[in-house]
Amino acid sequence: MKKSMKNELKIEGESYKTQQTAIHKRKKRRPSRVHSVQSPAILLIGMLSRLAARTVQEVRPLVLVRPTSTSAVQRAEQRDEANFPRPVRPVEPGKVRLGFVPEEWFQFLYPKTGVTGPYVLGLGLTTFLCSKEIYVMEHEYYTGISILLMVVYAVKKFGPVIGQTLDKKIEDIEQSWRDYREGSIIQVKESMEKEKEAQLSAKGQDMLFDAKRENVALQLEAAYRERLARVHSEVKKRLDYQLEVANVKTRLQQKHMVDWIVKNVKGSITPAQEAATLKQCMADLKALAPKA
Amino acid sequence: MMANLFSIFEPSSSIFNFSLNWISTLLGLMFIPYLYWASPSRWSLCWSEIIFTLHKEFKALLTPYSLGSTLFFVGLFSMILYNNFLGLLPYVFTSSSHMAMTLALSLPLWVTLMLSGWINHTQHMFAHLVPQGTPSILMPFMVLIETISNIIRPGTLAVRLAANMIAGHLLLTLLGNTGPSMSSSIILSMLIFSQILLLTLESAVAIIQSYVFAVLSTLYTGEIN
Repeated sequence: MKKSMKNELKIEGESYKTQQTAIHKRKKRRPSRVHSVQSPAILLIGMLSRLAARTVQEVRPLVLVRPTSTSAVQRAEQRDEANFPRPVRPVEPGKVRLGFVPEEWFQFLYPKTGVTGPYVLGLGLTTFLCSKEIYVMEHEYYTGISILLMVVYAVKKFGPVIGQTLDKKIEDIEQSWRDYREGSIIQVKESMEKEKEAQLSAKGQDMLFDAKRENVALQLEAAYRERLARVHSEVKKRLDYQLEVANVKTRLQQKHMVDWIVKNVKGSITPAQEAATLKQCMADLKALAPKA
Repeated sequence: MMANLFSIFEPSSSIFNFSLNWISTLLGLMFIPYLYWASPSRWSLCWSEIIFTLHKEFKALLTPYSLGSTLFFVGLFSMILYNNFLGLLPYVFTSSSHMAMTLALSLPLWVTLMLSGWINHTQHMFAHLVPQGTPSILMPFMVLIETISNIIRPGTLAVRLAANMIAGHLLLTLLGNTGPSMSSSIILSMLIFSQILLLTLESAVAIIQSYVFAVLSTLYTGEIN
C-alpha cells in the first residue's frame, strides 16, 4: 500500500518525506485511534484529503525534513554522498615538508606568496622572535637542538627499516584476513564438490539396492525351486513306497495262492492215481522211444 | 628566568594559584593511537606490540589469581613512560620528577597490596618474611630485615623514579645553561654532542625507570598470593 501511496504522491507533486512526517505527526497526536477494516482506496482518499487541508498550514522546506522513523539501512540508503562522503582509509601518511609542516599550508599560501612564501614566513618569524627576545634561547633551547639532531638522525637512519618492518606486519595481518576469507571460499567450494560426489554415489547406491534386491529375489527363487524339487521327491518316495507295498502284497498273494493251489493239488493226488499216472507216462515214453 | 637550578621543577604556570603544569601528566593520552579502521597503522601496530610484549612479561610474574592486573600495570607503565619521555622534550613539565606524583602512585598501590595481603592471606604473608633456604640461626634477623624492606617499599619506588628524573634533568639543565655564554663554536659543538649523549642516556633511563616501577609493582602483587 505504501508503494501505491508513494506513486500517488509523486503524481500529486508532494515528497514522500513530507507525507511520512505529516502522517507520523498525525499518528502522534491521536494515539488512541481505532483502526477499522476499510478498503485501502477509501483510506487513501481520506488521508489525502486531510493532508491537503493540513499541508496548507504546515509548509516546510524539504531540506529541514527529518525522517522520524528510519532504520540504519534506510539511513544508509538516504545518505547524501556528495556532501557527506564516506571516509576512506588513507594508505600513505599526509604529505609534509621539512618533516613536520603539512603540504596543505604551502598550497594555501602559494597564490599569495608564491613558492618561497612559507619559508620566508618561518625564517622571518623565528628571527623576529629571537631578536626581540620574545623567545629566549636558554638551556631548553640547547636541549631542543640536541633532540632535533637526534630525531633527524634516527628518522633518517632507522626510519625506512622500521617502516618496512611495520608495513610487512600490517600486510601479514591483512593477508591473514584475505587467507581466511579465501580459505573459507575454497572450503565451501570443496564441500560443494563433495556434496555433488555424494549425490552421485547416492544414485549409485540406488543401483546397488536394485542389484541387491534382484540378488535376493534370485536367491528366493532358487530356494523356492529347491524346496519344490524336494517336495516332488518326497511325494514320489511316498508314492513309490505305496507302489512297492502294493507290488509286494500282490506278489505275496500270488505266491500264497500258487502254493495253496499246488499244495491242494498235491494233496488231492491219491496213490492209485499217482501209480496210474506213472504207468501211463512210462507207456508213453516207451511208445515214443522207438520214434527217437 | 631561572631563580635557582631547581626552579625548572617548579610548577610555575598557574592561574589563581591553581597549577596548570600538572596537565602535562595527561599529555601521553595524545600519543596513544586510536583505531578507527580495522587494519592498524604503523604507530598503533608498534604500540600494540609494545604493550603485548609487556603483558606477556607481566603475565609470567603474576600468579593465576591475579592475571587481570596486567591491564593495570601496563597502563601504569605507559603513563610513567610518557611522563618521563615527554619530560625530556623542551618546555614540557616532568610530573614524574615530583614526589607528589610518584608517591601518589606507589603509596596507594603498596597500601592496597599490604592490606589485601595481610587481611586475606595472613599466614602466607608471615611465611614470606623468611625467604627460602635461610639457616635457622638467621631467621629472626631475616624477619626484621624483610619487615623493614617491606615498609620502605613505597618510599623506594617513589624516590627511585623521582630521583632518577631529577638527576637527569639537572644534568641537562646544567649543560644547557652554559650555552648562552658560549663564545667559540667548537666548544658549542662539544656541548651539543655531550647533550646528545646525555639525552640518549636519559631516554634509556626514562624507559627503564618506568619498566622497573611497573615490574616491581607486579612482583609485589605476585608476592601476596
